[in-house]
Amino acid sequence: MCGVAGIMFKNGGGSNETGRALIEMLDGCQHRGPDSTGFALYDAGEDDRLHMRFFVGTGDEDPKAQIARIKEILAEHGVRVIKEERQANHFRAVADFSGDIQKLSYALEHAAKVVSIGRSLEILKDVGSAHDIDKQYDVRHFKGSHGLGHVRMATESEVNPEAAHPFWATGFEDLAIVHNGQITNYFKMRRRLERRGFEFHTDNDSELIAVYLADKLQQDVSLKEALRMSVDDLDGTFSFLVSTKDEIGYAKDRLAAKPMIMYEDDDIIALASEEVSLNRLFPGKALNTSEPPPGAYDTWSR
Amino acid sequence: MVQIDLAEIPVRRANELIREHGAKGEDVEVLNPDARHHVGVGLISPITVRVRGSAGYFCAGLSDAARFLVDSNTGWGLGDNMYSGSVVVGGNAGAIAGLAIRGAEIVIKGNMGSRSGQVMKKGTLCCCGNANFMAGYMMYGGRIIILGDSGERLGENMAGGEIFVAGEIQSLGADAQVVDIAADELDNIREFLDRYDISFKGTFKKVVNAGKQLRYATREQQVRSIPFYHFSGDCDYWNPKIQEDIYIKSQIGRYRVRGYGGARALPHFSDIAFRKDLSRAGEDAEAVSKVAMHTQIGGKSGAKPLDLTMPVLIAPMSYGALSASTKAAIGMASTLSGIAENTGEGGMSEAQRSNAKQLVFQCLGGRLGWNIHDMNRADGLEVYISQGAKPGFGGQLLAKKVTKELAEIRGIPQGIDLRSPSRHPDILGPDDLIIKVEELREATGYRIPVSVKLGAGRVHDDVKIALKDTFDFIELDGMQGSTGAGGAEVMEYVGIPTIAAIRAALDALEEIGRSGEIQIVLMGGLRDGIDAVKALCMGADAAAFGTATIIAGGCIACMQCHVGQCVTGIATQDPEHEKRYNVPVEAQNIHRFLESVRFQIAALTQALGYDDVKKLSRDDLVALTPEAAVMTGLPFDPSYRDQEREIRSRVR
Repeated sequence: MCGVAGIMFKNGGGSNETGRALIEMLDGCQHRGPDSTGFALYDAGEDDRLHMRFFVGTGDEDPKAQIARIKEILAEHGVRVIKEERQANHFRAVADFSGDIQKLSYALEHAAKVVSIGRSLEILKDVGSAHDIDKQYDVRHFKGSHGLGHVRMATESEVNPEAAHPFWATGFEDLAIVHNGQITNYFKMRRRLERRGFEFHTDNDSELIAVYLADKLQQDVSLKEALRMSVDDLDGTFSFLVSTKDEIGYAKDRLAAKPMIMYEDDDIIALASEEVSLNRLFPGKALNTSEPPPGAYDTWSR
Repeated sequence: MVQIDLAEIPVRRANELIREHGAKGEDVEVLNPDARHHVGVGLISPITVRVRGSAGYFCAGLSDAARFLVDSNTGWGLGDNMYSGSVVVGGNAGAIAGLAIRGAEIVIKGNMGSRSGQVMKKGTLCCCGNANFMAGYMMYGGRIIILGDSGERLGENMAGGEIFVAGEIQSLGADAQVVDIAADELDNIREFLDRYDISFKGTFKKVVNAGKQLRYATREQQVRSIPFYHFSGDCDYWNPKIQEDIYIKSQIGRYRVRGYGGARALPHFSDIAFRKDLSRAGEDAEAVSKVAMHTQIGGKSGAKPLDLTMPVLIAPMSYGALSASTKAAIGMASTLSGIAENTGEGGMSEAQRSNAKQLVFQCLGGRLGWNIHDMNRADGLEVYISQGAKPGFGGQLLAKKVTKELAEIRGIPQGIDLRSPSRHPDILGPDDLIIKVEELREATGYRIPVSVKLGAGRVHDDVKIALKDTFDFIELDGMQGSTGAGGAEVMEYVGIPTIAAIRAALDALEEIGRSGEIQIVLMGGLRDGIDAVKALCMGADAAAFGTATIIAGGCIACMQCHVGQCVTGIATQDPEHEKRYNVPVEAQNIHRFLESVRFQIAALTQALGYDDVKKLSRDDLVALTPEAAVMTGLPFDPSYRDQEREIRSRVR
């Protein structure tokens, strides 16, 4: 149903053209998902400085009323907004906050459509192609260290901005995933996590992966170990990418039913559903790529 | 050597040029491939194509006779379905390398991905590095040579062929075993490696089929001849059918396999009636000349559509399940009636091609009989995802029917109980499917429509996927559809009824605002022109008949199609039985049946007040039972029951 892409620059801190690189990679595999496109982009971030994005104006409700309600909740939780802007279907706010992000997120989720909240993460996603999203959200000028991208073909659910990837693990700062495949023990896993107090905001199985990993990380399990566990715990066909403030990783199901291919050199690690996406970063050059075996997982940190 | 630069032109144009140069015998060099898909697909000239870099999915796919040299890596499905010719890959190949090859030689200097050599029939797949998981999965023949190590489940469910591994075998798959390699086999491998300049001195472990699962352990029992009406049973509880079912299972100890359609009463077209006064229907003997019935199917993306004198097609049925004579008669009848025939699984025989003026060629997961040359002479291609009789399961052809001739066209060992794969090696989701559809279009130069056959299960999702994957039309098959052989429980209990399927399909399109953007051919237990008109009213663009055409051609509905000893010569490969089938006579019988369908469609359309079948509407229908009303969304109105009962005797 999808194509995924991820990139991490090993050098240069937060000054690399992650936005531009991911646009190219996703354009290369747009055939895998023509309906919607999304990006999870990371910069260096600052302590106690939150970047928040919300969908506004995507439903029937007046965006002004939505924004007013968002600001009301932010005020209630002692969040001091220092910058705000409208960007296509997003309302973006930058704010000072040092409290409990999970509590704030759940409160916001009940009143608004949260796209992402993070210190270094911002998710830009909407209906349309990689170039469409770039036009609306200016992805190409985003500088950072790493990021994920996703193109989606809507099948089970409708074509709407909320169903686009990447998925943020609601309440867990800076954790995003993109996923190609299908989790077949979705309801079982979801019930298990709900009993532990987690909230789900879509019926999308990709959100489950995000929350599953967030739960592990919260228990101080390393990302790599969490990925290892996911291969055993999640049933179905999947190739997914995950990113946190400092890390990027992947996992692949035991039947290797969904494609994934990777390229690594001294400067970058890049992963994608198809080599054609990786090759977009190096036009005219044959790459020394590798395809992870079934059940494989790995992580890289910057 | 001619140079083609993929940085300058799209793959579609490049493939046209490669074919043009091929026809002239000129070698081609492809520059800047940058892992683009479909390079060289459909090439059937003995030229050399040198790819200067990495190629994407299906490189050299559906080709014959050409020699490909790829400097770096390739994506999934390298050399898909290749007949003769060769590919040498300098780097790694992705999953399912050598998929379904039928004679080609493929050499990969690096590693190869999962499930390589899946359903291959003939030829050699050689990997100089390591092979990933499940190499040789469901292979039917040919040879895989692995100079490095092999991953888990090597040779899983292989039915034929050999796998030679020089390194370690992580684990063997189901029904595979290690045997000693013979001296001449080693010599043959050495000769092969020498020919491709691969220096290797070691020896090999040989893996072949262990012969434990090629046939069902117990034979299918002969069943008593229970009349169909009895078989389907007025009483759904303890009846002769249930009794027999239990008895047979007590003997064979497994699920039963049988032919024909479901025999359980389900909401169907008889539960739907026309809500207009049809007392004059059928009186006008000239109705056919007064109603527009001409229909074109599959032209939406610019391919040449199927051109039908009425909105009717023959449903897909295989040569294999049916005898060659039967397929010939159906082909003739389709031509006489100006409609289209469909190969079903198992390849296109000469008898089918020469007799049917318009023939759709079906592509199934086992790729049995699938090949570029028959694709090129088809009038449409169809990707089979599933069928109404057994959604989610592959076809079955029991050993009695797997004769030498049939095994040859399908590329499989003779005399096995053929259980076709239930899914395609290269279609594991709608994202892979779209790349597959593109490959089929590339191979045939975008000339002919590509359709999808869907068994009615999750119709709501499947139809959206079909639309987004750019198919030209959908063949939608409800659970009343029949089959040559299938698990009895699956036939009776899996899927959703035909009348519910069409509703779900149209609702799905409406939900995403794409109504009318893809044509739907409805099938699954349609019996005559009356059912066809109801299907058209419900929103289908055409109706297809399978079982009805078989019955018109002499089938006695004994439900033993699977046995292979069909007394009418229809569902058999035994020449002694087949000779009872009189092709010209049965072709006329089927043709006459199709003409009766034409009259019924015309007469009813006229009686409903229209001069064109395209004007038929849902508003013309009511449901006679609450179940049918719920499934179709039609108003429940049993007061039309009497008219419905009489209509078959009035309009025939």
